[in-house]
Amino acid sequence: MEALAEQDHHRKEAWEKVTGKAVYTDDLPITSHYCARILTSPHGHARILSINTTDALAMEGVKAVVTGENSGIMCGTLIKDRPLLANSITRYAGEPVAMIVAVDEYTADHALQKVQVTYKPLPCVFRPGDSLKHGAPILHEKLGEYARVVDDVTPQAGTNIASHYPVRKGDMQVGWAASDVVVEESFYLPPSAHMPMEIHTARCHMNRDGTVEIISPTQAPFEVAKQNACSFRIPAGNIRSRVPLVGGAYGGKVTVAVEALAMLASQKVGGHPVRVILTREQEMTTMPCRMGLEARIKAGVTKDGMLQAMELTFWLDNGAYSDIGPYMAKSMAADCTGPYHVENLLCDAYAVYTNHTYATSYRGFAHESLTLCVERTMDKLAKTLKMDPLALRRLNALRPGHLSPTGVKCTFSNLGDVATCLDQIKPLSGWNPSLVTIDQNNVRAQGIACFWKSSVPPTDAVSGAVITFNEDGSLNLQTGVVEFGSGSKSLLAELLADRMRISIDQVHVIMDVDTRVTPKHFKSVASLSSYLAGRAVLRAAEDALMQLRQIGAEALCCWPEDIEVKDSKVYRRGDPDVYVHFKDLVYGFKAPAGASIGKQVIGRGGVMMKGLSSMDPVTGQGQISPAWTVGVQVVEVEVDLRDGTYHILRASTVMDVGNAVNPKGMGELVRGGMSMGLSMASRECFRYNPDGKPTTLSLRSYKVMHIGEEPEYRIAFVETPQEDAPYGTRSMSEHGIIGMAAALANALSAATGQSVNELPATPERLWILLKEAQT
Amino acid sequence: MIAKTFAYYLPSTEIEAAEVFLRSKAQGKQVLYYGGGSEIITMATAGTIAPDVVIDIKALPAMNALEIHGCQLILGGAVSLERIRVSNLFPLLGVVVGRIADHTNQCRITLGGNLCGTIIYREAVLPLLLSDAMVALWGPEGPRQAPIQDVFQGRMRLREGEFVHQILVNTAYTQAPFFHIKQTLGEKIGYPAVTIAMLWDGEQRRMAFSGICEKPFRSTAMENAMNNPAKPLADRVAQAMDCLPMGTLENQEGSGTYRRQILHKLLTQFGEKSGYENL
Repeated sequence: MEALAEQDHHRKEAWEKVTGKAVYTDDLPITSHYCARILTSPHGHARILSINTTDALAMEGVKAVVTGENSGIMCGTLIKDRPLLANSITRYAGEPVAMIVAVDEYTADHALQKVQVTYKPLPCVFRPGDSLKHGAPILHEKLGEYARVVDDVTPQAGTNIASHYPVRKGDMQVGWAASDVVVEESFYLPPSAHMPMEIHTARCHMNRDGTVEIISPTQAPFEVAKQNACSFRIPAGNIRSRVPLVGGAYGGKVTVAVEALAMLASQKVGGHPVRVILTREQEMTTMPCRMGLEARIKAGVTKDGMLQAMELTFWLDNGAYSDIGPYMAKSMAADCTGPYHVENLLCDAYAVYTNHTYATSYRGFAHESLTLCVERTMDKLAKTLKMDPLALRRLNALRPGHLSPTGVKCTFSNLGDVATCLDQIKPLSGWNPSLVTIDQNNVRAQGIACFWKSSVPPTDAVSGAVITFNEDGSLNLQTGVVEFGSGSKSLLAELLADRMRISIDQVHVIMDVDTRVTPKHFKSVASLSSYLAGRAVLRAAEDALMQLRQIGAEALCCWPEDIEVKDSKVYRRGDPDVYVHFKDLVYGFKAPAGASIGKQVIGRGGVMMKGLSSMDPVTGQGQISPAWTVGVQVVEVEVDLRDGTYHILRASTVMDVGNAVNPKGMGELVRGGMSMGLSMASRECFRYNPDGKPTTLSLRSYKVMHIGEEPEYRIAFVETPQEDAPYGTRSMSEHGIIGMAAALANALSAATGQSVNELPATPERLWILLKEAQT
Repeated sequence: MIAKTFAYYLPSTEIEAAEVFLRSKAQGKQVLYYGGGSEIITMATAGTIAPDVVIDIKALPAMNALEIHGCQLILGGAVSLERIRVSNLFPLLGVVVGRIADHTNQCRITLGGNLCGTIIYREAVLPLLLSDAMVALWGPEGPRQAPIQDVFQGRMRLREGEFVHQILVNTAYTQAPFFHIKQTLGEKIGYPAVTIAMLWDGEQRRMAFSGICEKPFRSTAMENAMNNPAKPLADRVAQAMDCLPMGTLENQEGSGTYRRQILHKLLTQFGEKSGYENL
């Protein structure tokens, strides 16, 4: 690899951000915009008996009042099960029931209070396990009739199952027979929030020619155009979706929800510009959240620690609507064993409806939850076998030649190197599997977790890039990747600068995405920006280079293959004194005698995912992902055994990133993920009252980790190139989070001697476990 | 955004403030005195309160007093927690209010607001209870003074239209040795599981608590138990726990039994660190 891409660079939008000048959607001027606010359901499950909007409509300044009855639009990423506004039934507290469009925010807010809704509360169900019981309230009576957007979802009419994904491998009887030790563990993880700094919002106006413009902080502008076109029955090309910088997304801004409300609002006021704004409380309850999970794992090993069989069942708490939940279940099923070799395998992953806020993708795409379950089981096995948990993991680590749960043959290229990660975490974390007694009340312990994650894009995912040039010969890079804080646009600029052999300063990045002008990138999800868009950028660079060489050859009177490009100049090989600078070439070359040569250079690169297949509906076998990223994490805690209070002292990560490009930038991404994971695992949780109303609806009661509560972070990289990825770099922007909950739970379990199989791991929960152990 | 129109008054005298209050009340309006606004703004935004009139009393000069006058420390009702902490005129009060909310909010929350607000923990009262502070109040009937113990019973028992004008503390108490410990339910900044404030009164320790029960309190019975030199520490702690004046607080942040466990731990720690064993 060239040196450039390995250097540390500021991200392109850094100065705007650190000076507070960066512009986000709601920073745009609001002149001439109406304001739309939504009224939400206070009940977890209720029949809407009536909505009286007369008083609200009569208010001066109120332009429209919209309810589910007069909209009738059904939404959904995989299954169209979610009404844009609740229609006759509300299935979670926080669900939009009515929308007011008014001249300003104050009037809209005031009018909301005048809408009278009468509800008849219905029985709620909150845990997927309860949802599947006989006699449980059925959330979707018409589950079998909903339109399906994709083929591989299996909603089961008459139940609360949105989809089911089985994986079958080997022979369970053989596996159990070969096992000397069998453990069985159960887990519960509650839903929690994404908590981006920038809350959801959207703006929309409709032009007289029937075209529609939408501006919003979305991870999926092309989905906004596609899904809204379908919902409102207009051609997708008529919708222009624009995205400025996004202030944090974490998977929570993929769902097309506010954008549809904004379009509906604008439609109801004759196309007038409307901004839909939410409160932080609505961000937390109305917008989709992180999934909850109930799980059971049974695992068998020989007495020397070789895994023989695993039986896993996952009941994903999908909340009231399916959104992307079924695919998170699929993703868990595909990676169900963690990065371990298991010959005999039986896994069932279900996406289950409950009366919680509906779930969507969250950093880690269910792997942060899956990993807790698998890694707690591994620690339980190690404890039973009296083995070093790290040694047990190393013994069972997947290696090249092994088959993944879905039957994909592992190679260093597609898997990475789990064993080396394990070897390197030892010195980095100061690994010590023994409990350290500080004094009569306090102990220290470490917990370890391996993780892996594959990205599961649609088999036909696409990306693209366009390069244009400026008067001074500098480049403009345009891609459909949304910049939501992961620095992916800057990474793409680095790849481009490196391939063009020019300074990074000569690459200008167009931060906004605009579906009218930007080549399509399927969605900015799944940490796939470098894999897909990176390849598109490299292809665009090749395309531009070819054109530059051609014009250069004519200008310098030689063959194109004798042309070299470097430092924004086109040279004749062997004679660096004979060159033309980009600025004299990129719009075509004007020869000294006046002849014009060539034409404007425009680089273009497109790419489509190749080689992926769907999972077999019975066995789950199939190649659903191009590659994994593996890693190991260790957390060290000090616990006061009197009341379960604890400090997280250190957290370490070794990740196989393929090739470290901009290592400092990568390190910060990993650190951010680790912090988010520790916060989620130690304190984050939506709590609900029996009527399904969340009781943690502000940042006063919903706790996140703050500055000053962070442990010391240690991060190192292993580099096993992924051969088919640009520069061999693996997906890594989500991955810092994945093993943190597991490593923390393992550390706390080691410290207390009790199984911490439920999150969040609050001091009180630990104290209850300690107390139960005493009695 | 507060989706309601309300009248905002900025009176220049105490009398004017009280008059506005009475007049508005007589018109059947909901009236609130306004200090730092941290509660009123958040609650009005959430729609849990909807005042018709707010009377901003934080500009009244006497409300901003923070000085020692003779042997009395005078704390205006509108002095921010941050100013109290930085002034260090009453070190125990400084450390107690320095653990209420985050720094941004400490710059807004006023002493009077913390005492009179709806958030139940009201930790600023603990040092005042221990130091036999006097409360100067202003209301429609003019000014009056009363011992804090009389006015504060779980919350400030004010007459209609009254507001906390000043707090007066004898400097003999403000400079006494003290100890403070706050344990939250996991966060660095958060509501207390248990807060204990302790102040030496000669040989005896005075103790006040927040978080453990629904209301903050000072308990002489618990003090006596903990001050008893004849018993071993474990017995004193057990006896003090038996003297809790009311049931333990139970809410989603923490159960009552857990709060008791923390109280037990802190009292024990407290006893060990402040040398009760040697008395």
